[in-house]
Amino acid sequence: MAEIDFDGVTKVFGAGPPAVDGLTLHVNEGEFMVLVGPSGCGKTTALRMLAGLEEISSGTLRIGGVVVNNTLPKDRDVAMVFQNYALYPNMSVERNIGFALKIRGDSKSEIKRKVDEAAAILHLEDYLERRPKALSGGQRQRVAMGRAIVRNPRAFLMDEPLSNLDAKLRVEMRLEIARIQRLLGVATVYVTHDQVEAMTMGDRVAVMRDGKLQQVDTPQDLYDRPANEFVAGFMGSPPMNLIRCRVRAGEDRVEVVFGDQVVELPWNYTTSHALPPSGVDVVVGVRPEDVIVADASSTNTIKARVERREALGSEILVHLSHLDVTVGAEAGAGGDARVSTLVAKMGPRSNVSVGDVLSVQISPEHAHFFDAVTGATLKEK
Amino acid sequence: MLAIAAVMLYPFWVMIVTSLKSEQQFLSGGGFSWLSWHDLTSVIPVGQEILSSTIVCSASILVILVVGLPAGFAFSKLRFRASTAVFLIMVSAMMVPLQAILMPEFVNVTRLHLTGGYAGAILVYAALGTPFSVFLFTTYFRGVPDELIEAGIVDGLGYFGALWRLIVPIAIPAIATVTVLQFIQIWDDLLVGLLFIQNTNERPITVGLAVLAAGRTTSIPELMAGSLISAVPAMVVYLIFQRYLVKGLTMGIDR
Repeated sequence: MAEIDFDGVTKVFGAGPPAVDGLTLHVNEGEFMVLVGPSGCGKTTALRMLAGLEEISSGTLRIGGVVVNNTLPKDRDVAMVFQNYALYPNMSVERNIGFALKIRGDSKSEIKRKVDEAAAILHLEDYLERRPKALSGGQRQRVAMGRAIVRNPRAFLMDEPLSNLDAKLRVEMRLEIARIQRLLGVATVYVTHDQVEAMTMGDRVAVMRDGKLQQVDTPQDLYDRPANEFVAGFMGSPPMNLIRCRVRAGEDRVEVVFGDQVVELPWNYTTSHALPPSGVDVVVGVRPEDVIVADASSTNTIKARVERREALGSEILVHLSHLDVTVGAEAGAGGDARVSTLVAKMGPRSNVSVGDVLSVQISPEHAHFFDAVTGATLKEK
Repeated sequence: MLAIAAVMLYPFWVMIVTSLKSEQQFLSGGGFSWLSWHDLTSVIPVGQEILSSTIVCSASILVILVVGLPAGFAFSKLRFRASTAVFLIMVSAMMVPLQAILMPEFVNVTRLHLTGGYAGAILVYAALGTPFSVFLFTTYFRGVPDELIEAGIVDGLGYFGALWRLIVPIAIPAIATVTVLQFIQIWDDLLVGLLFIQNTNERPITVGLAVLAAGRTTSIPELMAGSLISAVPAMVVYLIFQRYLVKGLTMGIDR
């Protein structure tokens, strides 16, 4: 078991922009770290550098405190699970799992003992003689896991290992991988583009974009306190509503104008935020669950029409379009809305139909505010 | 299909029937005799010549595989400078006909003092067959997921280990294809054997048959018997490996 340290690690392919740009990230011993981000954000490249499958352009990479920049993959003592499992098609499940041990020179009895142990953990005892092509997707995935855990490596590296499974199996394997990782207590770096996987599996989650690390935090903190507009929009399903508004500052209060609703910022916001001056644009972020349907008679609301209704069983997602054509534009040009629709999350028995006109409010206590130019949160000074 | 099969099999039928006649029976058109088979073995050393052909074929194919497998692996899976250009140059050698380079080859091999026995012919056959094998293996290996090799490397293999322990076992169709096609080509070739194997006790079966046909009198039944003996090994090799041929030839094309 070991800690992993990325220290300003950069990877450049050819003359293009860096695929990974100055990544600095610490993974604690036994920690489950998830790298998440959209396609092309550099997460897989970072993982491959850690495995030794890509050379590092600059920076320092340490495993267990030892610099491994120029260490061969076989000498790093890490195990990797690939997206398509990469099982050896000419070998049985037993030989697949024990292959790394055989290369390492372990005795036959030792290999047998470890393979049997791994098979028991993964419930693969009945499939040891089968070839990979005779296994289902979930079984193949477990064999790939078995191949990794049997080595008792210093770190597990997983590159989107669930992306080829169907939705139900993915949920099962999500739990299975998390269980095994906790059982073995080995530092794990897990790459995914699926933020649900990231939220449910990781002790901490590192969000990447365009090769740069955006934020590292626990799943709940990422959700509750996103460092910037990108993280806010990426984490959460459905994503956060992001609306461009203009700040109106008075002597004793700060407000943002959101259509007909004037959102007065809570007192703790005004004392803990880098407040933009009056007339400056900000991006207001509101989670769908923080869009509240108000009484028709309520004031300070946004009038919106239900355009679409998605019943998910446990909740209803309602897509609303503003009826206020001057959303965010009260202070003049430049205050136009970034989005013209809002998504609200409602209870399963909400009596809402397409075409209804609702009065909705956003909850200022749960709203997020971002710099309209840099996208950075305004929450902490 | 039956008509095509009949057209393809008719020459074999003629060979078999003709070889089972004596010279007299062949000229008169009837009868059955093992005489031509008996005489054949006394005219040319068939056993020795088949052994020579087998040695030349096996050694040439071995060299072709030993060179072609790592080269195909390198061209398909490794990133190195000018790999595409080198690959194209190598593959373009497939387009050069044997006759065009035969004399320069002969001069080179003579300078190396390799024209007496098997070595010169093996070298020439290997040189002629390697471009095709590199092309086929490169195409085949492009269909093998990179992750398979990377998994092996993370598990502790080097590139040669990955090639030998992971790739070769799943490249059996491609290896079989190269083996069959090169075997047929080398086994049936006359020109290289005639020019490069000058020791008469090491000459291959095709040269032996040519000697048989070039005598003052040519016994057609003996020639047919010799031709049949010569054709059988190539057919056997084809029949053994034919189930891999289509897969070996088409893998990678659909990518």
